[in-house]
Amino acid sequence: MLIEIHRFRRRYLTFSGGNTLNSAILAIVLVSYAGLILVVFSGKGNFPPLGIVMFQAVLITIFAPGMLHGAIAGERERRSWELLLVAPISNAQIVFGKFLGALAALGVAFGFLFVPIMFAAVTYLNTNWADLFQGELVSITFAVAICAFTLLISARVRRPFVALGVTLGSLAMILIVIPGMLSSLVGNISGAIEDEIWLLNPIYVLAKLLDHRRYDYGGAYDRGGLSNHVWGWPQIGVYLALSAVLLRWGVLTLKFAENDVKFLPKGQKEDA
Amino acid sequence: MLEVKNLRKEYGGLTAVQGVSFNLHPGDIFGFIGSNGAGKTTTIRMISTLLEPTSGTALLNGADIRRDPMEVRRMLGYMPDFFGLYDDVKVWEYLDFFAAIYQVPTKKRAEVIDNVLELTDLTVKKQAFVQSLSRGMQQRLCLARCLVHDPTLLLLDEPASGLDPRARAELKELIAELGRMGKIVIVSSHILPELADFCNTVGIIERGTLLACGPVDRIVKEMQPNRKLKVSLIRDGSEATLAIRDMPFVLGAQESGENEISVDYTGDHEAQADLLADLIKRNFRVITIQEDFADLEDVFMKLTTGAVN
Repeated sequence: MLIEIHRFRRRYLTFSGGNTLNSAILAIVLVSYAGLILVVFSGKGNFPPLGIVMFQAVLITIFAPGMLHGAIAGERERRSWELLLVAPISNAQIVFGKFLGALAALGVAFGFLFVPIMFAAVTYLNTNWADLFQGELVSITFAVAICAFTLLISARVRRPFVALGVTLGSLAMILIVIPGMLSSLVGNISGAIEDEIWLLNPIYVLAKLLDHRRYDYGGAYDRGGLSNHVWGWPQIGVYLALSAVLLRWGVLTLKFAENDVKFLPKGQKEDA
Repeated sequence: MLEVKNLRKEYGGLTAVQGVSFNLHPGDIFGFIGSNGAGKTTTIRMISTLLEPTSGTALLNGADIRRDPMEVRRMLGYMPDFFGLYDDVKVWEYLDFFAAIYQVPTKKRAEVIDNVLELTDLTVKKQAFVQSLSRGMQQRLCLARCLVHDPTLLLLDEPASGLDPRARAELKELIAELGRMGKIVIVSSHILPELADFCNTVGIIERGTLLACGPVDRIVKEMQPNRKLKVSLIRDGSEATLAIRDMPFVLGAQESGENEISVDYTGDHEAQADLLADLIKRNFRVITIQEDFADLEDVFMKLTTGAVN
């Protein structure tokens, strides 16, 4: 962990040579963060905290694959993978080590975003703390699931950029394209069916949590959607279960990945 | 002690390694010789627990690579033919990372790192970034990484590939020193002179089969049981060849060049002096008479056909 902190400092805080671009990226991130703080502080009282949680979920969906896509595929590409495989540590330890490292980095990101969320929550008139807590948990558990998914893809491919492309592409398909196509195919559908189609999209879930305080204080959503109880805890449970399954799958994948011949194209495999 | 027992690896219909067996003791430096694709790396990867053998096994100090791979990993250091180093990491940080993975106690790590850096002659580069090191230094750093947990067995796959002559010489000396320290070292290579200098045992592999295995002297002796003499004359090579064939202890003689004769000989040095005296007595103008020693390269060329899987 100490080495990772040193590496981060060297990559992003040296402001020289090949690290200038990294430093510039960090500067943009910090300026954006300062902008967010400024917007939230200036719009004091009018900013729903769940809105920032939604923004956080979008950010993490892009940030987590960007951070983790090379976790295993990168080791393979730079040929340092075998050095880890011959060490007296299990495949599960390797995967969980990478996973915990990613969670630590995510923790820092969540920590930074926690400041504007809390400020908005305290100043916003209609803050429902139970919904906010659930919304934050939806966002966090979704981030955990994204990390597990990215690790699985990284464990199954050889090139980090392939891992990044496959992860972002798959997420776009699962979260946006397929539900969107289903929605448009079914046509004029009831709120309940639409809710079912988008059931696992965290942004939709957070929007529901935000909306039901605004429009619906009773039972079902006024368009005939699913009950309010469907939003929040069920998704948290699904994301956590999904994370466990994806991590386990990732560990099992490494068993196969030990044999590099599996990665060779078919023709070369026969010659090997 | 390392006992390799009938190791076999099949990939679909292809048998990469078929029944390789050998034993090595502390201090042995084993040169694993073979052409590209002969099965050296596959064998090494099986011993290092990276690949599961199709059948057979290997025992390192009693620990089985199949039943107890974690215990084996604690006792071995593996240097692959190609390896990568992490960017933005200093030499000591790199070693510290692997020392942590190999569960070297935190309090001992600094001392261990200093020791392996000294052994690999990298002390002055302790604070340097790994990507700033030359290829030879990176190779030594990788070897230092293999040594942080004081392994019993070192598996070095083509360790000298891509190194300049000076770096090769330094690496050879380092490997010889590791042998003197009582470690079992397996070095694979297809560059034979490089191995002959410091290996006390060799194994020659072709198409997954171990063709010969044992001490270098013994293998050379087995390949060439008789002495081979080379006689050079100023003239009359053909006549001298006929004359030599009738001399004592001569198994055969043939012209190997212009006025140059190759003699298969069983006599000792005394008899050799007599042969020379006899030639001179018969008025042959002899320039030199010298023994042609076989080396690892000759043995390799004699044993192998150059076929690959």
